[in-house]
Amino acid sequence: MNVNFDLLVHSYANIFTLKVMFVIVVGVTAGIVVGALPGLTATMGVALLIPLTFGRPLLESLSMLMGIYTGAMYGGAISAILIRTPGTPAAAATILEGYPMCKKGLAGSAMSMSLFSSFVGGIIGCAIMIFMSPLVSRFALEFGPVEYFALAVFGLSVIISISGRSIVKGVMVGFFGLLLASMGLDPISGFPRFTFGFSELMEGPNFIPTLIGLFAVSEVIANIEKMLKTQKVKAKLNQYLPSWSEIKRSTSALIKGSLIGTFVGAIPGAGGDIAAFIAYADTKRSSKTPELFGTGLVEGVAATESANNSCQGGAMIPLLSLGVPGDAVTAVLLGAFVIQGLQPGPLLYKEHIDLVYAIFASMVVAQFAMQFVGMVGMRFFAKVIMIENSILMPMILVLSIIGSYAMRGSVFDVGLTILFGIIGFLLQRYDFPLSPILLALILGPMAESNLRRALVISSGHGSILFSRPIAVVLLVLAVIFLVLSFLTHKKIERRLAEMTVRDDAALP
Amino acid sequence: MKHVDIVSGVIGVLIGAYVLITCRSFPPDVVMKIGPAFFPEILAWGLVVFSALLVLQAILGKVSGTFEKLSLRQKGTHRILLSVGVMIVYCAILKPVGFILATIPFIVFFMFLLGNRNKFQYLWVPIAITIGVYLVFEKVLVLSLPNGLLDFIL
Repeated sequence: MNVNFDLLVHSYANIFTLKVMFVIVVGVTAGIVVGALPGLTATMGVALLIPLTFGRPLLESLSMLMGIYTGAMYGGAISAILIRTPGTPAAAATILEGYPMCKKGLAGSAMSMSLFSSFVGGIIGCAIMIFMSPLVSRFALEFGPVEYFALAVFGLSVIISISGRSIVKGVMVGFFGLLLASMGLDPISGFPRFTFGFSELMEGPNFIPTLIGLFAVSEVIANIEKMLKTQKVKAKLNQYLPSWSEIKRSTSALIKGSLIGTFVGAIPGAGGDIAAFIAYADTKRSSKTPELFGTGLVEGVAATESANNSCQGGAMIPLLSLGVPGDAVTAVLLGAFVIQGLQPGPLLYKEHIDLVYAIFASMVVAQFAMQFVGMVGMRFFAKVIMIENSILMPMILVLSIIGSYAMRGSVFDVGLTILFGIIGFLLQRYDFPLSPILLALILGPMAESNLRRALVISSGHGSILFSRPIAVVLLVLAVIFLVLSFLTHKKIERRLAEMTVRDDAALP
Repeated sequence: MKHVDIVSGVIGVLIGAYVLITCRSFPPDVVMKIGPAFFPEILAWGLVVFSALLVLQAILGKVSGTFEKLSLRQKGTHRILLSVGVMIVYCAILKPVGFILATIPFIVFFMFLLGNRNKFQYLWVPIAITIGVYLVFEKVLVLSLPNGLLDFIL
């Protein structure tokens, strides 16, 4: 199953219609706005905006989702540069050079470079995705229940080992999420588990209301507690594209950042934040003037932004070809695909190859739309991040509640959103990471049904899990990741504390 | 962090114990041997073990990170409790009262709670958000929102 060029070209014909182009632009704009708003992560943004895709034809829904995803990944850079607050965790590294540039009066240059490098990173990530995911899916066609179980365990172990400061808390939350995922009808016998007498829980806690509660409502509650004030932007934005000399200076950072981002994105669990920091460190290391990093260098912005946006293409590779999300945002996307009646994985390539190519095409078009919308709306987005919290938070709350309600017209789902909002707020407040719950909700059913299927095949003998080489490799890697993160956890924490102190001292 | 970690660990153990007890009443699968209790039991044991580990770490003083205490005397806690209460009331009246009539006062309340004292904004923001969301969901996305008391005109 190699790249089908005829289908690739044909898929663009389907995307280049007024309706689809319109929904992509709407999705990109909404994504940038949500991504730019400090405190609203890309995960939350996509979760919050998924209800906008309900009730639309499949192609339009998928294109809009891709637009939202693309926009949200870029949007984080705007607030990172202008107010030194990353709109999304993936934009945290952009602060290192972007904000000093802004302080030097080069906000326009930093903003235009962040947009352009997001575009370049996005395009390179998409290109690699288009060529790689059919190959991976061909490989995955031979996967059986044992491999899928091992893949789910691997994905969970990676996200647990990299999220949060305490590995014990990460694992606890992972198990909690898996238990949540086991609610509802048993996948093999159909016996209802932990439904507490609610028919609405027969299929487990509904994914979208749970997600919106965990990621959006929890953030609103945190804001209500702390009453955070909005910062004012005083930058002059007079440049929409980087100059030729800036592009020439940043070419190597752009290419390397994009490749690092795609590679890191493709690893289940690792996301844009890690990719951006790796790309930044690499650009600094290979620079002739590493001592100037931190004072506002345009190539630093190019490296981080190309890396975090190319992650998108990378993260879509395991999502589309294996049905395993690369990071928290793609986990949300996976949920959105399932709502649309699509189950990503190798079978998607067999049964709905046209849709796979439509996703490819819409992602590429979304990158162009992002560049266009980003340029046209640069000043508007800079104003959006100044919206007062006392207006923004009620708005998010209403969107969260109505988004949860609209899918099934169920008040029960609204209650679920509020409940998970409180749970998410408490977990985050006490240093429990939320991403493992999200991944567990997605990977839990996959792990359980495949484990039980495998055990049925082997008449209950656990040795079947170690009978297939790929599964053994994945399970061993999962254990290595967890053990390594146990061992290195203290060292990382110490380094993080040092970095924070240094960062605070450097940037008043 | 110590007390919080102990409390979190105990809650984790209790959830795990609840799952393990509930799983006992699940029917065994005579044909396939592995019944509906199999997977949740493994997970519950995992949760119990790691929750106990968290408690142990806390007792041994191997905890990191700081946080502000959530006390019932703090204004922030009052705001949270009040807002959760209002969210529950909103959830309860959403269908009978309808989206528009329930949402406008809901937004007004949260604007006030979050410290907005700009009278002019109270005149247009709640109405603009409510009508905007209503139009997007009802007219653009064709998803029905409850009309409630306004059913006769909407």
